[in-house]
Amino acid sequence: MKIYALLVAFAMALGAPAIATAQPAPQAQHFGDVRTGPPAASYSPHDDIVDGHGMGMALLFWAFAIATVVGAIFVISRRNLIAAAMGMVGSFMGVAAIYMLLYARFLAVVQMLVYAGAIMVLFVFVIMILNRPEDEPVAPTGHVGQVVGGLAILYLIGRLVMVLWTVELPNKAAALAAPRATALGHAWGSVNAVGTDLFNGGLFPFEAISILLLVAVVGAIAIARPLSEDSNDEGTKGV
Amino acid sequence: MNDILFDVGYGHFLVLSAVLFLIGVAGVLIRRNALIMLMSVELMLNAGNIALLAFSRMWADEAALSAHTFALIVIGVAAAEASVGLAIVVAVFRGRRTIDVDKLTTLRH
Repeated sequence: MKIYALLVAFAMALGAPAIATAQPAPQAQHFGDVRTGPPAASYSPHDDIVDGHGMGMALLFWAFAIATVVGAIFVISRRNLIAAAMGMVGSFMGVAAIYMLLYARFLAVVQMLVYAGAIMVLFVFVIMILNRPEDEPVAPTGHVGQVVGGLAILYLIGRLVMVLWTVELPNKAAALAAPRATALGHAWGSVNAVGTDLFNGGLFPFEAISILLLVAVVGAIAIARPLSEDSNDEGTKGV
Repeated sequence: MNDILFDVGYGHFLVLSAVLFLIGVAGVLIRRNALIMLMSVELMLNAGNIALLAFSRMWADEAALSAHTFALIVIGVAAAEASVGLAIVVAVFRGRRTIDVDKLTTLRH
């Protein structure tokens, strides 16, 4: 536990200044005045990578990838539920940093707020309400279940390896770390750009998700409220 | 070896996404605690988002931003799923005093 906390702290301390320097310079052009900005051809791909050879990028990626995977392993291996929830938070923080490395700045912040903030609090609340040690953390399945489960996982690993093996990926650090000289330039992935896309192409999903969240809130209250005989008692006391 | 270590590209992010997804699948398969299973589902949704954003980064143009919109909507769905799932866990625990999914066999027969 302490080792993991140290690892996360180390990754954060290492990553924070480097991510800050990885961000575009303050004079970066805004989304609105893309067309009046400098032409894309004058843009140097090495302007805002951490250093010329992608070394800092690699360091950041490995630090946060390890934090993510270790946190995820914590989730599925800890007997203590609070430890599992904290591992989940570490994993989500790592995922947010990975989003930042992919220049999804808005989504990185949303990830922090929604996952590491709201959903984590929800989980911790429920863990505190239940407050019950686990009887049997791992399933005592028979031989058939173990064989079938193992085969399923092996098949999944095999398919993933096959797909990743056959896809020809441009494995160049500079191509990833620097924003490509697109029409959007530095604004790619910003709140402005994502919002423009969300309210143009994604308007219907946006409205659908708001209805879904409303239904989820009403449903959660309806499911988790006390049983009717309990609520009568509480009702007489006056709420 | 140095290429894999220092030339971080899109493949690295995709492999990270695959590893995270597999950890989530393993959590759902081997753990019997409903809360841990919900957490593992959240991990799988995050893995899908990483893959989406990596592919979006590969194209890096205006059209690829719809992957960001999609990931945002996935986060919203995950929030709704977590709230309803946790409410179900609380309701089940209230009735049965357990959240071990192997012991919830009332609907099996």
